[in-house]
Amino acid sequence: MSSTNTLKALMPGDVQSDPARRAMLAEIDASCRVPVLFFVVSGLMWLLLGTLLALVASIKLHNPEFLAAWEWLTFGRVRPAHLNTVIYGFASQTGIGVTLWLMCRLCRVPFPAPGLTTVAALFWNLGLTIGVVGILVGDSTAIEWLELPRYSTPILFFSYALVAVWSVITFRLRRERHLYVSQWYLLAALLWFPWLYATAQIMLLIEPVRGVVQASVNWWFAHNVLGLWFTPIGLGAIYYFIPKVVGRPIHSYYLSVLGFWSLALFYNWNGLHHLIGGPMPAWMITVSVVASVMMLIPVITVAINHHFTMVGHFGKLRHSPTLRFIVFGAMAYTLTSLQGVANSLRSYSEIVHFTHHTVAHAHLGVYGFFTMVMFGSLYYIVPRITQREWPSLALISVHFWGCALGLILYVVPLSYGGILQGLGMNDASIPFLKVVEGTLPWLRIRTGAGLLLALGHVAFVVNLGWLLCRVFGPYRKPVVELFTETGTAAVTAK
Amino acid sequence: MNVIALILLGSVVVVPAVALWSLHWASRTGEFRLLNRAALLPFDDEEPVGQATDQILNRGGDRR
Repeated sequence: MSSTNTLKALMPGDVQSDPARRAMLAEIDASCRVPVLFFVVSGLMWLLLGTLLALVASIKLHNPEFLAAWEWLTFGRVRPAHLNTVIYGFASQTGIGVTLWLMCRLCRVPFPAPGLTTVAALFWNLGLTIGVVGILVGDSTAIEWLELPRYSTPILFFSYALVAVWSVITFRLRRERHLYVSQWYLLAALLWFPWLYATAQIMLLIEPVRGVVQASVNWWFAHNVLGLWFTPIGLGAIYYFIPKVVGRPIHSYYLSVLGFWSLALFYNWNGLHHLIGGPMPAWMITVSVVASVMMLIPVITVAINHHFTMVGHFGKLRHSPTLRFIVFGAMAYTLTSLQGVANSLRSYSEIVHFTHHTVAHAHLGVYGFFTMVMFGSLYYIVPRITQREWPSLALISVHFWGCALGLILYVVPLSYGGILQGLGMNDASIPFLKVVEGTLPWLRIRTGAGLLLALGHVAFVVNLGWLLCRVFGPYRKPVVELFTETGTAAVTAK
Repeated sequence: MNVIALILLGSVVVVPAVALWSLHWASRTGEFRLLNRAALLPFDDEEPVGQATDQILNRGGDRR
């Protein structure tokens, strides 16, 4: 018996050969079209706005006179507006869109209660629009990652609650009883985010705590948004798409389970390493540093698992846009996590804290890992839910290389420049202004990198808009047939 | 302060309780057994193991 037949024999009965008990993939995909596209298209519009705001903020760092005549475009407003548009506008909405599709596919159910998520998307965008306008007119809360004014956040929370209700309904209706590891990650993210967001909102804005507790809650929230909201969604997507694209199950399911539970156990404690050197109880910082180092367990298990799943299939990177973005994202996850462990150590933090190195690290995580994984996921999902192929392969290449090179150009020089900046600030013989001037070359490179990223984003949005225009054109063959490389499959099956 | 106390109670009691219940549920329903079976869940008759998907770039190029 060939290895493929052996694997097929292990396949769950209701999944393998009982079409009456499971919906067809095309039916599931079609049912996801409107709700998923609503979140994704909205998210991409916020990405364009967020990119524009990022460029303005970046230029201001080395050319402070740029657009200085308008108070609503001062750095103190543009920078948080950028952060909130990309985090809550783009990343969260795209992440939710990808989560909705993955949940339906893995639960084997057509999209239930689409009205619920449509209302959620409407309110999410309404709340965010009010919030971002509020930041630009000067109503920012001045709490990092929670700058949206207090009058906008209840709308976001209500919207999120609808998504959470939808996820419970979908989970209850599932036709496949066994959970895949991606579902563990996605369900955990859907549980963790409301806990984080509600706790931070109440303790910082509604019934604000004081003193060091405020800083503790702030960084507990800010770090966990990355680790317990975006990271599980990103890893859940990677665990689904790498096996799907290469046509091979994950290397070790055991390792994937170990990775999930160790992330759940250790990540929550990490945030306070951002307060090293601050007026905090030493034991709190130490616990955070220890937990940050323990993150090596889930990071290494995930890296090993993804790498060995890809072994023998790296050639497919040339043919699959999904795989290109996802593998790039998976590698960035490993790198940013290892960098995060180093940053959490007191000796290293003494140098890089309060420097551009931290900015580079955050972008490696949120952009290099999460955003690239989301782009890769959309290259897989959108053609299936719209039944249309991507119109331009050239634009896909522009998108990938613009983003990949842009990110490398962003992260590498800024990380290096940040270390030089930190060493300079720690040397009392060097005037502070000289250290600031020394950062200018790296900041100019950063603006150039931002332009490359913007090019990639525009290419993607144009390609998506073009594809969506074709949705109203003549019917084409189902995309599952179009996107299956039967020759590759035959070779692999032998 | 009552709200804060509720949040702390929730964080200290409810969240770990949900995590423990999830572990118990997973153990009871066989999520930690049959790992090979779970690894195959992304696949089915329409997109089976051994069949690559999403191979849309350079389709006329590499014919190895």
